[in-house]
Amino acid sequence: MTSLSLKNLRKSFGTAEIIKGIDLDIADGEFVAFVGPSGCGKSTLLRLISGLEYITAGDLFIGERRMNDVQASRRGVAMVFQSYALYPHLTVQENMGFGLKVRKVPAAEREARVREAAGTLKLEGLLDRYPRQLSGGQRQRVAIGRAIVADPDVFLFDEPLSNLDAELRVHMRSEIAALHARLGSTMIYVTHDQIEAMTLADRIVVLRDGVIEQVGTPRELYTRPAKLFVAQFIGSPRMNVLPVERVAQGLPAGVPAGASQVGMRPEHLRLVAPEAGMLGGKITVSEYTGAASMLHVALDHGETVLVVNNDEGPRPGERIGLTIDPRDLHFFDDAGDRRSFD
Amino acid sequence: MARAGRAPWLTLQRREAIEAWLFVSPTLIGFLIFFLGPLIAVVFYSVSEWNLLSGEQVFVGMANYHDALRENPDFWHVIRNSVIFAIGLVPLNMALALTLALALSRPFRGVVFFRTVFFAPVVTSAVAWAIVWKFLLQGEGGTVNALLGYVGIDGPNWLREPDWAMAAVIVTRVIKMVGLNMILYIAALQAIPRDYEEAARLEGASGWQIFRMVTWPLLAPATLIIMVITTIGSFKVFDHIYLMTGGGPENGTLVLAYYIYEQAFEFFNVGYASALAMIMFVIVLALTIVQLILRQKGAA
Repeated sequence: MTSLSLKNLRKSFGTAEIIKGIDLDIADGEFVAFVGPSGCGKSTLLRLISGLEYITAGDLFIGERRMNDVQASRRGVAMVFQSYALYPHLTVQENMGFGLKVRKVPAAEREARVREAAGTLKLEGLLDRYPRQLSGGQRQRVAIGRAIVADPDVFLFDEPLSNLDAELRVHMRSEIAALHARLGSTMIYVTHDQIEAMTLADRIVVLRDGVIEQVGTPRELYTRPAKLFVAQFIGSPRMNVLPVERVAQGLPAGVPAGASQVGMRPEHLRLVAPEAGMLGGKITVSEYTGAASMLHVALDHGETVLVVNNDEGPRPGERIGLTIDPRDLHFFDDAGDRRSFD
Repeated sequence: MARAGRAPWLTLQRREAIEAWLFVSPTLIGFLIFFLGPLIAVVFYSVSEWNLLSGEQVFVGMANYHDALRENPDFWHVIRNSVIFAIGLVPLNMALALTLALALSRPFRGVVFFRTVFFAPVVTSAVAWAIVWKFLLQGEGGTVNALLGYVGIDGPNWLREPDWAMAAVIVTRVIKMVGLNMILYIAALQAIPRDYEEAARLEGASGWQIFRMVTWPLLAPATLIIMVITTIGSFKVFDHIYLMTGGGPENGTLVLAYYIYEQAFEFFNVGYASALAMIMFVIVLALTIVQLILRQKGAA
């Protein structure tokens, strides 16, 4: 059983505290994504788990064992780096077998394990190549293969797809999902791309300034964000946020106590006739993206909101009304915490 | 206004070409006067017998080369000294430079101080360096021998005994110049992404395994360049020998560059010295070509 447990984990570099007390439990076989903006500490947290950084305070358990003072190589983790970190002077086979070689595994067994992993990842034909002779996607697969050969309890991915082009990223995403399904290992995946996190993870951990903002399934984060920050971070395009007064008169049930801001996802707003909706305004820009258009609407009160419009619709300069199902409204107080009726 | 069909002479392309030539001309002129000119002159002198006093020049063909390679036993003695100097200096210099670079490539408190300490001799005056070391290496009352005396070793008269003199000039030269190679190695080490080391660490490699299996192979291009420039530099060494030993004792430290100087400016054998200079030029050229070939092989 390889679950992980982080208890009040902290990390400081000099006087700067980067990780400010993380409590998190990860179940055996779970796929967890750490997301957050640059500098939120997600990579540092991964490096604390891997053993590449010392833990300043708190406890890290992998399985039943406290790992704070265990060497990186003895924690049963393998890491896939953003840069892939493939040794340029070694062939694919040598790269994948490196860990076994330094652990003095006999050559025959080494080769068998490398071949098995290579088979899984369709790398058999590339074993004698050098990293420079591979495409970006192939390098990525070799890096994953190297991790598989190590047969770890926990896989750690540090932004593994961010050096790939958009098309390949989508493809590799599905390969990683398939790998998780096949191996059933515990995986922790760091990314700044919320789409990657949403599509891959069983649970997402949203980090900001070294603390957890929310932990939940992708659907929970999208439908019931606990914080304004999470609401705006998850979902694309970004959620619109307005002062609560803008919609209060259109809501017979009123607004939850303490609510000062209201969030509306662009894909939930619907166009209606001018003066008929909750909000009124004028279209300033219309961006046609194929599947839908992104309308920038300047509200009468001065704010600008984004609206996703699926139909061929009004043109810039036209006045429109906007409405939304009250169930799709998200209320937050001044501190950015969610407010609801119950 | 220019009429259609008749292009002006000063087109944009011509104008930019002229500007480009103007920009390179200072260097080009310097190269012609101070490098190519003397080189051609040396080729010419090397096939002549030239009496500096009367100004008389006689064409002698390959006689000077014949002298060096076939007649004069000094020449092969000098070549042997130069090779010994290189064989002694290059590995010692590189091993020390790499060791220092490994210790000083990562930031820690005081790292700049240590880098400066080891680099300072490179920019120190060769004359001051030689004076201090001649003093330290004195047979009687020299600091080195005094220190050796504390551990019960009776040190030799370093610069006055042929074998020890060679060792002494090699070691003092290494200490003076090692900082340069240290800086080159530090640059090469810092160019290696840290991810390689971290990946290896996660896979269970020890510090020594990381060095042997990752760092050292990745340093190969730097090592090659450092080896070649250090070897070339050791063949061209002059000031250090001139100041420390003057080629002695018993010609024990008489190396090629110093021998050329001696022949040209002390014995006024300009033709013979020019032939020696040509031979040295060929040696250095050959080393450079070997380096280029190896580099291209490494890059392929």
